[in-house]
Amino acid sequence: MAEKHKPAPMVDEVSEFEILELAVRELAIEKGLFSADDHRRWAEYMETIGPAPAARLVAKAWVDPEFKKLAVADGIKASLEVGIDWINDMPSHFGTPSDYCNLRVLEDTPKLKHVVVCTLCSCYPRPILGQSPEWYRTPNYRRRIVRWPRQVLAEFGLQLPEDVEVRVEDSNQKSRFIVLPLRPEGTEGWSEEQLAEIVTRDCLIGVALPRADRKVDDKRPVHPAVKPVKHH
Amino acid sequence: MSRSHHADKATGIGDPQCFKGEAGPPKFKVGDKVRIKDLPDIFYTRCQVYTRGTVATVAKVVYESPAPEDEAWDNTDQVEWFYSLVFRQKDLWPEYPDAYANDTVETELSERWLEPV
Repeated sequence: MAEKHKPAPMVDEVSEFEILELAVRELAIEKGLFSADDHRRWAEYMETIGPAPAARLVAKAWVDPEFKKLAVADGIKASLEVGIDWINDMPSHFGTPSDYCNLRVLEDTPKLKHVVVCTLCSCYPRPILGQSPEWYRTPNYRRRIVRWPRQVLAEFGLQLPEDVEVRVEDSNQKSRFIVLPLRPEGTEGWSEEQLAEIVTRDCLIGVALPRADRKVDDKRPVHPAVKPVKHH
Repeated sequence: MSRSHHADKATGIGDPQCFKGEAGPPKFKVGDKVRIKDLPDIFYTRCQVYTRGTVATVAKVVYESPAPEDEAWDNTDQVEWFYSLVFRQKDLWPEYPDAYANDTVETELSERWLEPV
């Protein structure tokens, strides 16, 4: 009988890092360094963040030259205008070791293309861009983009002409970076809201270019298998 | 020193903003050529090995902060200037293709890692 009643599927793998985090967290709560409620508020904050404010910042910089100057000169101040306060939004009110309060907005030109990486870990401008995608954290991306940037960008579908300087921004200290790409053709006369819809997360990391015909919330194409497996 | 000295100092101000004005005058300015020193790093560093011994150009004097090599051990006594540095890919990786000789890498290091060229 017993073999007929297999247990329900469960999460079968918890990584050592998750166990370590849990242990350190519980010890910190027992010691009174922070409370369980503080931790819950952090987790809640982390779930509210995403790439939308950074997309709005780029769209605003495209339509407003004065704002663009501010964004390039002082990313933290410019973030306030799209509703992100790097210092006070976070429950700590001073940032964390992975979210220092120094945003730099990297302006692309027709002869310069920026792409962001953190070769040492996975530093990412989370308050304005949300959680990093899985690939951004992989050793594969981190070690290859800095050395073979054009090949890696080509894997993302981005091929750049020889006369464009590719600048890899290796985020290794207290600055965090987003890319301000060139405004694409075919967007003349668009509103700020329309423009924000084409600035995807990958455009903000620098591995893609915004296109007038591709929106953040587009349905992704589903390609049927060439040789589908037949189930009998 | 209290365990919460960092929070006490940075709350409402931000990090690295809370160290502003503590490093004295910066030793380098935008446009200067510097060489990255190959200092010992047996405990902790955020100076990438690939930059060591290479010449770079100062692109921006960015902020003041204790170096991560100290701050990792909660030592915030020595606040340093940080510089954003631009390297030519050809200088970092000799086999980088000549066709893309303009390509660059930009990263930040604190003053202790830099020597004038």
